Amino acid sequence: MVCIRKATIDDLLAMQACNLFCLPENYQMKYYFYHILSWPQLLYVAEDYGGKIVGYVLAKMEEETTECHGHITSLAVLRTHRKLGLATKLMAAAQNAMEQVFGAEYVSLHVRKSNRAAFNLYTETLGYKIHDMEAKYYADGEDAYDMRKELKGKTLHQHHHHHHHHHGGGCCSGDAKAE
Amino acid sequence: MGASLPPKEANLFKLIVKSYETKQYKKGLKAADAILKKFPDHGETLSMKGLTLNCMDRKSEAYELVRLGLKNDLKSHVCWHVYGLLYRSDREYREAIKCYRNALRIDPDNIEILRDLSLLQAQMRDLSGFVETRQQLLTLKPNHRMNWIGFAVSHHLNSNASKAIDILEAYEGTLEDDYPPDNERCEHGEMLLYKISLLEECGLIEKALQELHKKEFKIVDKLSYKEEEVSLLVKLNRFEEGEKLYRVLLSMNPDNYKYYEGLQKCVGLHSKIGQYSSDEIDQLDTLYKSLAQQYTWSSAVKRIPLDFLEGVKFRDAADNYVRPLLTKGVPSLFSDLSPLYNHPGKADILEKLLLDIEESIKTTGGYPGRSEKEPPSTLMWTMFYLAQHYDRRGLYHIALTKIDEAMQHTPTVIDLYSFKSKILKHGGDFTAAAALADEARCMDLADRYVNSQCVKRMLQADQVPLAEKTAVLFTKDGDQHNNLHDMQCMWYELASGESYLRQGDLGRALKKFLGVEKHYADITEDQFDFHSYCLRKMTLRAYIEMLRFQDRLHAHNYFRKAAVGAIRCYIKLYDSPSKSSTEEDDELAKLPASQKKKLRQKQRKAEARAKKEAEVKSEEAVGGVSRSGKRNVKPVDPDPHGEKLLQTEDPLMEAGKYLKLLQKHSSDSLETHLLSFEVNMRKQKILLALQALKQLQRLDAGNPDSHRCLIRFFHKVASRPAPVTDGEKLISGVLEAERPTFSQLHDKSLMEANTIFLEQHKDSLMHRAAVAEMIYCLEPNKKGDAIKLIQDSPNNLVSSNGLVREWKLKDCIAVHKTLEAIFNDHDAASRWKVRCADYFPYSTYFEGRHCSTLNGNSDSNHSHAENGSIPFLPSNGKVEKGIKNLAI
Repeated sequence: MVCIRKATIDDLLAMQACNLFCLPENYQMKYYFYHILSWPQLLYVAEDYGGKIVGYVLAKMEEETTECHGHITSLAVLRTHRKLGLATKLMAAAQNAMEQVFGAEYVSLHVRKSNRAAFNLYTETLGYKIHDMEAKYYADGEDAYDMRKELKGKTLHQHHHHHHHHHGGGCCSGDAKAE
Repeated sequence: MGASLPPKEANLFKLIVKSYETKQYKKGLKAADAILKKFPDHGETLSMKGLTLNCMDRKSEAYELVRLGLKNDLKSHVCWHVYGLLYRSDREYREAIKCYRNALRIDPDNIEILRDLSLLQAQMRDLSGFVETRQQLLTLKPNHRMNWIGFAVSHHLNSNASKAIDILEAYEGTLEDDYPPDNERCEHGEMLLYKISLLEECGLIEKALQELHKKEFKIVDKLSYKEEEVSLLVKLNRFEEGEKLYRVLLSMNPDNYKYYEGLQKCVGLHSKIGQYSSDEIDQLDTLYKSLAQQYTWSSAVKRIPLDFLEGVKFRDAADNYVRPLLTKGVPSLFSDLSPLYNHPGKADILEKLLLDIEESIKTTGGYPGRSEKEPPSTLMWTMFYLAQHYDRRGLYHIALTKIDEAMQHTPTVIDLYSFKSKILKHGGDFTAAAALADEARCMDLADRYVNSQCVKRMLQADQVPLAEKTAVLFTKDGDQHNNLHDMQCMWYELASGESYLRQGDLGRALKKFLGVEKHYADITEDQFDFHSYCLRKMTLRAYIEMLRFQDRLHAHNYFRKAAVGAIRCYIKLYDSPSKSSTEEDDELAKLPASQKKKLRQKQRKAEARAKKEAEVKSEEAVGGVSRSGKRNVKPVDPDPHGEKLLQTEDPLMEAGKYLKLLQKHSSDSLETHLLSFEVNMRKQKILLALQALKQLQRLDAGNPDSHRCLIRFFHKVASRPAPVTDGEKLISGVLEAERPTFSQLHDKSLMEANTIFLEQHKDSLMHRAAVAEMIYCLEPNKKGDAIKLIQDSPNNLVSSNGLVREWKLKDCIAVHKTLEAIFNDHDAASRWKVRCADYFPYSTYFEGRHCSTLNGNSDSNHSHAENGSIPFLPSNGKVEKGIKNLAI
């Protein structure tokens, strides 16, 4: 029904449009560029049969901290395309890449306290746990849950042979951000 | 730097530079003033002071000082460099490049300036210059990784990929065997993948594959590794290995359609146009059946067979496919299947299938042939599907019956309201569509999707103020306009620009269209920081893709729409200029003296008030800077409603700017050349109009608009006076030589060509309307015949079930406007309206019998808004309610 694949540069405008249509937290194009030009492996899109982008995940590595970990910047699926498990598939793809390419120990994200649907997805389907609460995290004053999921030790079933060099490439090389 | 100064001042000079770099501008300014007290003419200090002021938003002083500094010390590379930086900050890259070049003439090996120059060259795509600068940098500092990579990338961009490979290999030669250290493995792996992609680009497929295998253990990104490997294998026709690898990739992500396509190619079962022999269909069927057992979670593996299966097999597969999704209540089921409606016969099969399911659930409570009962929601989702199905087939009445039935069954499902709104939009009732979308919105005020959907419908119904009020519910600072603009919310700006254009508010329309254009300029600008960032970060494949994306950025749909909208505004503005100040003065002159004075006073007061408000606002903005310490506070827009845009001296010249971009990036769009034709005809640029005409003929000679342009053009040039000047003679010569190249005009008069065009497209309404318009244009006394030609057009049935007719609502509206505005025949227009009201019962434009504006609003035909809104829609209090609820 819907194709899950790595995002390319050509998807960014559609990702931005999808974000603006359905989420209250929005970003300028440059922020999308920053993500794809820093961690091209961590952006995924859901594309419907007609080629329309109906969902995406935008993720990054936190490189300043000592513990190498990933962070979900934004996840969206159009209302018309719910109940297909797209969010789960997108998240799984990004999380795998974080672990496989960058050797992430865990992945973090923020969710609005009032957003029960998203909270349930993260806790029940995806195995995230509340790590902390950030008061007034959002611009409108709402609190956020700071949620985390451990990645290490849960290597995915990759049915292939000869790759013994599974440790990550060391994401924590401390490059400055482009912003 | 600061060499000519005594030690104390020289130290102060260093402090200015340091303060500039650390953004402590006040400190820098103080130091500069201290030097200038003693040495008021010191060039480099003046320049640095200017640069510092530039960062404090004192632009004009900055330029003055920098120029003065340079004048005082023309031999200083610092002064030239600073001048370049100043231009760079204003995005004047060409000027900046010139300055850097002057600086380098004085200090050729200055690495900082060379680096700055290389960034500008990359930005401006001065590729040979970029290669040169990058070479210099490498020569000066060969021990820097970034300089090797930069040199390679510059050659690649300058279309010399093989040279880029050589450089990367030379760079690898400088590395130790145990390279890379753990913290650089990612970067190094990216570099290797980049090099392999270069080999592939050069056609060295075998070598690329060898290199890939050789470096496998150094490439961290295993997914990219496999995707690259499989692509190379397929290019080498090593299909068996390709097949294996695609199966591995599918086990990692069984929802990636590209992998299925690749797999099909490897097993020799792929057709670009999706046409297969029955034997191939059987093989594909077997393949996907086995894949479905392996990847049980994949939905792709179940959906793809619907594309290639036919007849009974298609029916059975579709049946198996839809049942679980209807039971589960997947709202996107129809949109998932809708591409099948382009396959002959499949829509009929689906219709029968879903009607059978509906019938069965209604009578037995379960699917056909099953004894299990379905949950009540299954029937609702089945009816929802059928509503979408009939909408797609143009049967709005049945679609509405189905959706109403579904809504009665379960009144709480938002999707039903949203879709009913869509059916009404398709039927031409924009007002009712907006009202329903608003109902849907109110069912979940926390969901931005239904909010956006509603805003979109309101804009389609030309209810712009209401749309703004609604959109603001989801923008953070309550200042929705700026926020939507700042966040580059282009769909909104385009939709509201289009609504303003329909309503004839050209200033506001232009404001919106140019706003979108500005986003594209900003996106182009965005790449600047990444020229150095990506070289450090080594994300080279993504970087190159980004540059290529930027090069075709203006071909993007949103830009095209914005440019088309802006050009249309400028043409309208040219054709009917807004009230000029002299006209206003004329109106003023008619008033008695006392009233005149009052009015003038009133105007002056209003102006003063506006000025004061703007000042307060900008003070607030500046105040915001000091409080938060941030610099990104936006200045107050001096022209929020585009009134100044309307005062342009030369609208056609403005249109020309955007036309150029369309011609460069959307040259295959008919609209580009139609607009070029219109603009150049108005400018009397005959040869440019001829160019546009030739493009139109190349793209689609049978298009009614192409035909209109052809006839209008030659009719117009025939009526020109005999050429006098050399220029005019030259043009006549060209036209005489070119006319025979239009085969339609060969040995024929324009009237004859028009008649032949009619014979070729006799049954098409839009072609007949074009021919009629041209008859009237060529021979105004045949107006009656021309109108009759339109009126006699047949509206044939198109569907097999004998329910859908050929004509499209938007075409019929266009014809109505032609009758009104071009033929100026109100009787014919109103007869047309009556006829169309019958075809389009939901249309507010034609006041069809089912349209929502018919009752109670009899003067809606005076509304000039095309989409038929009621100018003052009574507020139903829902927006207010929405605001309240959100605030709580």
